[in-house]
Amino acid sequence: MISWPFTATHLSVGEAIAEALDNLRVQRQRSMLALLGILIGAASIVAVLTTAHMAQQETLKMFSRLGVDMLNIHAMPADADATGVLDRTAVEQLPFRDSSVLAATPLNAEHDTVTAGRVSDTVGVAAVTESLARLMTLEMREGRFIAPFDADGLVAVVGVEAAEKLSAPGAPITPGARIAIKGYVFTVIGIVGPQPFTPLDALDVNDAVMIPLGGAGRVFDTPQPTSALVRLRPETDLDAAGRRISSLLANPTATLQVIKARDVIKSMNAQKVIHGQLLTAVGAISLLVGGIGVMNVMLMGVMERRREIGLRAAVGATPGDLGLMFLIEAAVLAFVGGVAGLVCGLLAALVTARLSGWTPSLALWVLPLGPGVATVVGLAFGIYPAIRAARLSPIEALRAE
Amino acid sequence: MQGLSTTGALSTMNVSPHGAAQHAVLSAPRAILEVRDLEKTYSAATRPVPVLRGVSFAIDNGSFCAILGPSGSGKSTLMNIVGLLDRPTAGSVCLAGETIDYDAADAAASRRNRLLGFVFQSFNLLPRLTAWENVALPLLYRGMPRGERKPLALAMLDQVGLSDRAEHRPAMLSGGQQQRVALARALVANPALVLADEPTGSLDSVTAAEVMALLRDLNRRLGVSVLMITHDRDLAGRCDRRIELLDGRIITDVTAP
Repeated sequence: MISWPFTATHLSVGEAIAEALDNLRVQRQRSMLALLGILIGAASIVAVLTTAHMAQQETLKMFSRLGVDMLNIHAMPADADATGVLDRTAVEQLPFRDSSVLAATPLNAEHDTVTAGRVSDTVGVAAVTESLARLMTLEMREGRFIAPFDADGLVAVVGVEAAEKLSAPGAPITPGARIAIKGYVFTVIGIVGPQPFTPLDALDVNDAVMIPLGGAGRVFDTPQPTSALVRLRPETDLDAAGRRISSLLANPTATLQVIKARDVIKSMNAQKVIHGQLLTAVGAISLLVGGIGVMNVMLMGVMERRREIGLRAAVGATPGDLGLMFLIEAAVLAFVGGVAGLVCGLLAALVTARLSGWTPSLALWVLPLGPGVATVVGLAFGIYPAIRAARLSPIEALRAE
Repeated sequence: MQGLSTTGALSTMNVSPHGAAQHAVLSAPRAILEVRDLEKTYSAATRPVPVLRGVSFAIDNGSFCAILGPSGSGKSTLMNIVGLLDRPTAGSVCLAGETIDYDAADAAASRRNRLLGFVFQSFNLLPRLTAWENVALPLLYRGMPRGERKPLALAMLDQVGLSDRAEHRPAMLSGGQQQRVALARALVANPALVLADEPTGSLDSVTAAEVMALLRDLNRRLGVSVLMITHDRDLAGRCDRRIELLDGRIITDVTAP
């Protein structure tokens, strides 16, 4: 049975902390080992929180550009033999037939082999209309996007990544270049992007070749679109809008699948939460190991400093004073580890940001958390050694060699 | 030592009901330490081992008393009990008029701080602290701020002739100097009684004589009582009083003329 022996203490905490720091300096090497666990624990927690914060900022940025009030309607074949399609006119009419729809664009996308000179590669191929550029706020790097007058013309807009893939030395993909898809030769009229990838997009425009929807029949099984991207008014009830739009687009060839941007964000977040939980678990285990390290160092300290403890008891230290001395030392030890962990965690988050191409950003509330959690761990694991010190018999302590 | 006579007067009331025969009521105020029927038995695995078997004596305020005896005679146990570091099996200890309750750890700590000063054979200085910080240690546990501790510690270092070594760490001091720092530490808090356990035991004979002379001098100058364990008959002969222990009993108790 362990009762709390800390009473009647009249030590100045400031002086006790100064002394604890002094002690850490003296037994630097051993302190270092104990600190390592605390450091890794605090660092992983700080890294997780900062990375999660930055990821959230990035997601927000991504969707503030695209908007969260988006739907992707996809036509699934109604039966195995047929191709599920949407009616192009019905899609283009959506803004006029449902007041919650701001814009709608039909498209058809798949992956195909595209050849440019001697280079050929598999990229996304999409049949789109001019309204895609506005709906997705596409930015042109060179040339122009598909326009209404392209009708079924043999022209193509190439995403930056796809352009890079298809370029050969001396034969870059620029406006005017020629590329072949399924035996048809298209003239490149523009290069688009880079565009932030959003999971709602039916295709990644950076890695795609886009041709006019009017000529889709040359490349695709059907000249009709198979998907529609719909932008809704902010605050629209997505479920209700999805049902209304589905009924407006309903046709016997297809079963309509409605994908909501919010659901995609939610599942993205869920994935992040899982990653975060994993790292947090690593952090927690490290902290546990670190805490045991602190306890070990403190127990060794109590053993080695028995004479000191005995002497302090002889000159009037109460058991509480002695316990508090070791408790403060454990807390200071862990705090130092926590500060080091904070620095390492932030560096790790910075590296992650650099590698992911994110803008580094910092949640201020993370700053006190690393050292704070570490100190709590130090206090928790310092209790047992502190009690040991407090309960040491002074004569046995003084007799120790 | 003003405060001591006050507590000494108090002891008249506390002690007299069961006062030992050799102490008349008149002499009671002068006793700084009264040990009565002290017994200590250690419980070993096979059978209990008695270490003290009924020890009684009283020490006058301001006297210098030696406790002699071979190892195993119980003198260290007696010292630990008087120093409130160990508890007796039976009997009572009255220190500066206060009867000791050995169950109260915090009260014992506070009494050690107020009433007792310890000097050890192995000095027991803290190596990380400077000389003056070592001397000031008892004041720390009195809750005195650092700024007030320093002048008191420096004054005490001056008393033991080490004012020029105040900022030195123990490792930079000779054995004799370390023991003098320890003496200053024992005395800095104005104790009623200094308990010295073989204070010259780890010093060469010249240094030992110097330290002994200093202890004697401080005893006279400051009026502090000293109880010293020794096995050196020469040293014991120079004390006011000599108590000799054998097998847990007092065999001689001689007061110098």
